[in-house]
Amino acid sequence: MAYEALDFYDIDSLLTEEERMVRDMVRDWVEDRVLPNIEDACRDGVFPDEWRVEIGEMGILGAPLKGYGCPGLSYIAYGLICQELERGDSGVRSFASVQGSLAMYPIWDFGSEEQKEKYLPGMAKGELVGCFGLTEPDYGSNPGDMITRAEDKGDCFLLNGAKMWITNGTIADLAVVWAKLEGEIRGFIVEKGDEGFSAPEMKGKHSLKASVTSELVFQDCKIPKDRILPSVKGLRGPFSCLNNARYGISWGAVGAAQSCFNSAREYALSRIQFGHPIASFQLVQNKLSWMLREITKGQLLAFHIGKKKDDGSWIPEQISLAKMNNVDMALEIARMSRDIHGANGILDEYPVMRHMANLESVKTYEGTHDIHNLILGRHITGIQSFTREP
Amino acid sequence: MGVAVLLKQVPDTTAKISISGGRVDEGSITKWSISPYDEYALENAIQLKEAGFGDVVAITCGPARAAKCLTEAAAVGADRLIHILTDSYLDSIQVQSLLSAAVKETGFEVVMCGKQAADTNSGSTGPGLASTLGFSCVGGVTGVSIDGGLAYATRLGPSGLEKVEVGGPCVFTFDKGDSELRRPNVRGIMMAKKKPIDSLLPNDLGIGDSDSMVVIKDHSSPPEKQPGQKFVGSESVPEVVEKLRGEANVI
Amino acid sequence: MSTTVISESNNGTLHPVTAQLVGAASSLGGPITVICPGGVGASDAAKISGVANVISVVGDCFETYDCSAWSKTLSPLVEGELILSSSSAIGRELISSISATKGIPVVQDVTSLKNSFSATRTIYSGKVIEEVSISPPCAISLRVNSFESAADGGSAEVSTVNVSQEVAVAVKQALARASERLDVSEADIIISGGRGMGEPANFSHLNEVADVLGAAVGASRAAVDTWGEIPHSMQVGQTGKTVTPNLYIAVGISGAIQHLAGMRSSKFILAINKDPEAPIFGVADYGIVSTWEDALPVLKEQLIELLSN
Repeated sequence: MAYEALDFYDIDSLLTEEERMVRDMVRDWVEDRVLPNIEDACRDGVFPDEWRVEIGEMGILGAPLKGYGCPGLSYIAYGLICQELERGDSGVRSFASVQGSLAMYPIWDFGSEEQKEKYLPGMAKGELVGCFGLTEPDYGSNPGDMITRAEDKGDCFLLNGAKMWITNGTIADLAVVWAKLEGEIRGFIVEKGDEGFSAPEMKGKHSLKASVTSELVFQDCKIPKDRILPSVKGLRGPFSCLNNARYGISWGAVGAAQSCFNSAREYALSRIQFGHPIASFQLVQNKLSWMLREITKGQLLAFHIGKKKDDGSWIPEQISLAKMNNVDMALEIARMSRDIHGANGILDEYPVMRHMANLESVKTYEGTHDIHNLILGRHITGIQSFTREP
Repeated sequence: MGVAVLLKQVPDTTAKISISGGRVDEGSITKWSISPYDEYALENAIQLKEAGFGDVVAITCGPARAAKCLTEAAAVGADRLIHILTDSYLDSIQVQSLLSAAVKETGFEVVMCGKQAADTNSGSTGPGLASTLGFSCVGGVTGVSIDGGLAYATRLGPSGLEKVEVGGPCVFTFDKGDSELRRPNVRGIMMAKKKPIDSLLPNDLGIGDSDSMVVIKDHSSPPEKQPGQKFVGSESVPEVVEKLRGEANVI
Repeated sequence: MSTTVISESNNGTLHPVTAQLVGAASSLGGPITVICPGGVGASDAAKISGVANVISVVGDCFETYDCSAWSKTLSPLVEGELILSSSSAIGRELISSISATKGIPVVQDVTSLKNSFSATRTIYSGKVIEEVSISPPCAISLRVNSFESAADGGSAEVSTVNVSQEVAVAVKQALARASERLDVSEADIIISGGRGMGEPANFSHLNEVADVLGAAVGASRAAVDTWGEIPHSMQVGQTGKTVTPNLYIAVGISGAIQHLAGMRSSKFILAINKDPEAPIFGVADYGIVSTWEDALPVLKEQLIELLSN
């Protein structure tokens, strides 16, 4: 049966023709190139380089950025791209999120003209791969206390420290690294060949297996002075990037949920037990109905925040809500879908457990579920409850 | 010099077709696409353009929704877009006279289209159009190249796969081609958005109103499949083979 | 009302569909003329009961198939108010070309015909049955094996017309045998094997039947996973290919839900399995409980006989 992306409240009718064409282009690419190969990629634990090339050729990297060879699409289009990529696999969407929102975006917003000209065009084509170095082994939800530091040596900066859980790190040509310069967080562009920089891959993951996850290690890493991002200081820098990525993820989660729902529905209609398709049983219908409800709500959240991103009327807490809600519902849907598939659901014949495992990472990265909860709590009450400080 | 590509918009081959009141319910069709064989014609035409053969003009005949076909063609490289706007059900003669008038206006001598459309599955348009235009016709090709004023096409002929040479104006109808269909990219989609479509009414092509000589009487669903029949032993094979022809008509 | 039948040939002889076209014309009444491009099968056409006369059109232009050239020679000689052809590739092209020249409409691949006229055919790849009304003068192509053949015993006059016509299409090179093995995703008929085949070498038996039918050969995931010799490209099923052929023959395949997902939309399913409880029999239109060793040789033999008629 052909893929039917659940769209119960007809979000499709709210899209422009261009947005639909972009979505269909990515959907077709995922069907042709990702779905037939994703299970092997996961088994082997690799992100096939051909995908990087083809994603670059489609011209979807850095989707909402304008100028410097970037696509200049609407945020709705960016959301749709993430939705369709993640319907394929969260790891594939992570590649694009990191490249576009976490590596291209900070250069685009906070970089010098020279930096923008030097890096953005190649990154838009997928010829230069970027990554984002914020999280450290001991500083995840608390990036403000990071210990990676940069020292101004007059003719260069010297970086020391380590970053962890960095998507694309090992294959990246450049890393946008956040480190403390005289106690203040600044962004630095570290290139692959820079002295004292290495990016070993992290192995042994049960999640995002078709994605490259790395450590970034800086041991007296020397970088030229012109690599500092001039226009941003403090956490505002990395948080702006994260907001963009989180927005994309709120759509991506919908794609993963749609994939799991579609598989569950088809399976329930074909699987016969006690002489009837299991889709005829009330408990199964209850589950499918719940999934439809959550996907529809998630789509509306994502679409509405997309419109606000496009007209500039958004606030970060609105993105926290969308990311948190949609990833949470997608993970539950993946689990419920696995349940409907019965034992068959544990096989890689079906995508559900792969999505389930991936979504554990998606629920944790880009701000854990609980952190977003507290962001909303602070917004509601005016009182921060992240730390024990007064 | 250049290629005229005829595109027909049809329900996507994965779309569910439902029947209401004895007619296919077009309103319930969720996805419309370029007929698959036409896509191969378009791909080949763009390859010829890249080889320097001239522009690609995409032509479609159909209601307002058919314009989407042309935008999709522009997104992969079509240069000029012509929409013959008509809501009516057309018979083979009517379709061919509209399309041939549009092709004549381009002045092109190479026309490409799919060997049959995914809705009617007929295959009348290509050869019929060739007749009307006075062009040659090579049907069921998988690839066409042009060299020194002659066209070379690979087709499945009566005795097998063969390469043929054609001189003079020609209509090529496409089977599933040798080439992979190219994907659009964002740049193509954004440029396609801006590309104007020449919308023409049949009157603009000098073709008056007339009634179709073929009138639809009824649409119905195929009968429910009979329950499966089970046979035991290899002795039953001859009987089953008879049924494959007599009942099922699949061989 | 007069009818002209455009005869169909196959490897230099008259194709049996021609007698079916005559049979269809007979039930509509009126004189029937058969026109033979290149003169092929003209004398056999004359022996079909109900044929009033046969026009054998000969000339050098018939050496290569060139639709427009052939149609230019045939059109002036086609005088029937109703023109019939087979809905083969060449039949459709010729009738399209001739009807366009005459300015009369054509309806293709018709499976039943009632007088004056209502014609039935399928559209949307068989998902919908369409009935249309059309009046002579008109052209209709008929689907093979949908109409009763006219009997033998005719003795029509054969008149020969010599034509000379410029041909624009020249064959430069023969590229491959017509019977290249198809990919499962493109075939109208697929024969697939499962683990019940016993060993990969036994797929040769499936290949033999496939050759007779011009079919593609597929495999279940079990076969692909167990035997490296069976490539993933042949796999039909959840993670293989989804196929919708007219006929799917499943041999030694139990019918696990993952395999069914790939082929259950086939028009007709024939299953051969030695286990009478195999789930595949639940979706098969025709199920044969037998070992493949017993059934396949008979199947091959029967198909050869049927198709050579």
